[in-house]
Amino acid sequence: MSEPPVLEIRDLRVTFTAHGREIPAVRGVDLTIERGQTLALLGESGSGKSVTAKAVMGLLDQPNADVRCATARLGGRDLLAMSEEERRALRGSEMTLVFQDALSALNPVLSIGHQIGELYRVHRGLSRKEARARSIEMLSLVGIPAADKRIDDYPHQFSGGMRQRILVAMAVALEPDLIIADEPTTALDVTVQAQILELIDRLRRELGTAVLLITHDLGVAAEVSDRVAVMYAGRIVESGEVAELYERPGHPYTEALLAAIPDLDSPASSLRAIPGAPPNPASVPPGCSFAPRCERASELCTTTRPALLEIGSGRYAACHHSEEMLDGALA
Amino acid sequence: MAPSPDPVLRASGLHKTYRGGMLSRGGAVRAVAGVDLELRAGETLGIVGESGCGKSTLARMLVGLERPDQGEVTFRGRPFFTRGGVPRDIRRRVQMVFQDPLTSLNPRMTVHDIVAEPLRVHRLSPNARAMRERVGELLTLVGLSPDRMGRFPYEFSGGQRQRIGIARALATEPDVIVCDEPVSALDMSVQAQVVNLFAELQRELGVALVFIAHDLAVVRHVSHRVGVMYLGRLAELGPAAEVYGAPAHPYTMALLSAAPVPKPGLRGRSRIMLAGDPPSPVAPPPGCRFHTRCWKATDRCGEVEPALEAVGEHFAACHYATR
Ligand SMILES: Nc1ncnc2c1ncn2[C@@H]1O[C@H](COP(=O)(O)OP(=O)(O)OP(=O)(O)O)[C@@H](O)[C@H]1O
Ligand SMILES: Nc1ncnc2c1ncn2[C@@H]1O[C@H](COP(=O)(O)OP(=O)(O)OP(=O)(O)O)[C@@H](O)[C@H]1O
Ligand code: SF4
Ligand code: SF4
Ligand SMILES: [Mg+2]
Ligand SMILES: [Mg+2]
Repeated sequence: MSEPPVLEIRDLRVTFTAHGREIPAVRGVDLTIERGQTLALLGESGSGKSVTAKAVMGLLDQPNADVRCATARLGGRDLLAMSEEERRALRGSEMTLVFQDALSALNPVLSIGHQIGELYRVHRGLSRKEARARSIEMLSLVGIPAADKRIDDYPHQFSGGMRQRILVAMAVALEPDLIIADEPTTALDVTVQAQILELIDRLRRELGTAVLLITHDLGVAAEVSDRVAVMYAGRIVESGEVAELYERPGHPYTEALLAAIPDLDSPASSLRAIPGAPPNPASVPPGCSFAPRCERASELCTTTRPALLEIGSGRYAACHHSEEMLDGALA
Repeated sequence: MAPSPDPVLRASGLHKTYRGGMLSRGGAVRAVAGVDLELRAGETLGIVGESGCGKSTLARMLVGLERPDQGEVTFRGRPFFTRGGVPRDIRRRVQMVFQDPLTSLNPRMTVHDIVAEPLRVHRLSPNARAMRERVGELLTLVGLSPDRMGRFPYEFSGGQRQRIGIARALATEPDVIVCDEPVSALDMSVQAQVVNLFAELQRELGVALVFIAHDLAVVRHVSHRVGVMYLGRLAELGPAAEVYGAPAHPYTMALLSAAPVPKPGLRGRSRIMLAGDPPSPVAPPPGCRFHTRCWKATDRCGEVEPALEAVGEHFAACHYATR
């Protein structure tokens, strides 16, 4: 029998209540990631990427958030059947989250060595000395020079790129099955970004870790992912293998995004912009959420919401006119 | 309109050092350390560089919001920084668009009042009615409907807010607009709308633009010439096609090769991976500022600072610039 996927999520829904209004931030998301695979979750600001990540991690235990899910499995184990206690034990050891903002994710009053070492002491029961040695090893692995000298330094003594690498070190320290990286490089320069992406990719190759990489950068997704899922207004509107999806998008939103990015090699005179703006999550239009901005929208689109359907092997799209799009691309 | 060769704006020997800032921990941050450049009428000069290399500091000096410690900025040959401050007519002719469209617009002012503010300050409208008409014109120019001028900024999307900021910058009919990361805070689907708007405005109004961004592809797309900054100085400066097509400075080469490209097919390409992080601007390395990360560095690089010198059609600050 084949190995179960590392992560399997079916029909995740998250609704916030704010000022007496319901904000359905995530509206039925499915995610599957296999061992050693990187799935990039793409989408613009407010489309629900971070909320999805936090819900998967079980970090949305707050009074104004309602989280529902039909299936949630980590390496075949049912997360929904577990107690909060059991889930907490998985967090930090078998699935970890790299937050976007490295400074706020680290404790400013504890040394780096203390913070990494704690993982080994709490989850692996190592002694202080062993934990320290492993922490130094981890810091060198993520490219912190003279790690043995810097281990007692505090977060503010490191640059932004180094702090991000320290977070990555903490996320991989216990060799988790799944790493969720929420925009791990957005705040970094391209030269440092390239180092971090290379690092995450090396861990995936060497340790077989599954990676959920959240980004809004189509370039970043193209560089490191195997599969891509594109979110729009709280739903996944298209997913598929990265090269295929970029070459022959099956959803007009993906197509428009790809057309709107300037090309480094061949500057054209005018970019193909997508008209309008993404919908307010509290009032998404009926029918297809993208319809008000879609070139291909028909009568049907404004009344009936398209379901996410298989449009090829391993490819899914939620659009009434995907087939015409793909046929058009072939012709 | 083809860019004409006379400079509208010229910066020479600009230096700006911040003392005792939060980040400097007692030292002085050398934010801009010797920048010379010219902006020609009707052209777009793109500026790229890593976070913290001094782009915003440079931008503020180019519009006269900040006074350089050393060096000078001139507008059509006239100095910015006179004893009485920046002359009013120069301030009118040189405008700025900021990165974050929400925080740079006063939330308690209507769109009409925001766009009208420079008209009022520079007394450009004889009466309220003329002012209203002019605001309507400006909003139309940036693709917003004039009937929304009674609304507040929060009622607009990010891309629309940036258009409001651009309308305000255009109100005084400037010759120069300095745009500090004007599209970085925008959603990817909206970014192209604003980039196209700048190109259109330049074609129609002939305004010269300084366009600062960290996205290399966006800068290439909009710029006639591009300057690459590293730690407070220009590493390379020249026509966009040259800087991108035939970079002469090792740092430009590394930046171009590290930029992620949205083409999965190109993934295996060879890359220049730079070692380490950018050094702190509190203590920039001696000699060439890039030598701590440069794979071409020799002993000389750690001792002698290279000047920005002509390499073919463009300029590079490297002892071993690729010719
Ligand atoms: N705690 C909360 N209470 C109310 N609404 C929330 C809360 N957290 C998120 N939201 C809303 O849910 C929607 C999705 O937010 P989310 O943070 O997932 O977006 P995102 O895709 O990660 O965007 P970004 O790229 O900006 O990080 C947004 O409209 C946001 O305002
Ligand atoms: N008012 C200030 N006081 C102290 N230091 C400052 C001040 N403004 C900027 N700096 C410092 O000067 C350096 C250059 O900053 P600047 O904002 O010009 O960089 P930048 O290139 O615009 O970066 P980014 O891409 O992050 O916007 C940084 O080290 C910054 O911390
Ligand atoms: S369903 Fe209709 S509106 Fe929605 S993306 Fe497809 S064609 Fe466009
Ligand atoms: S001067 Fe030397 S260190 Fe500086 S960029 Fe050139 S080769 Fe590299
Ligand atoms: Mg987010
Ligand atoms: Mg800046």
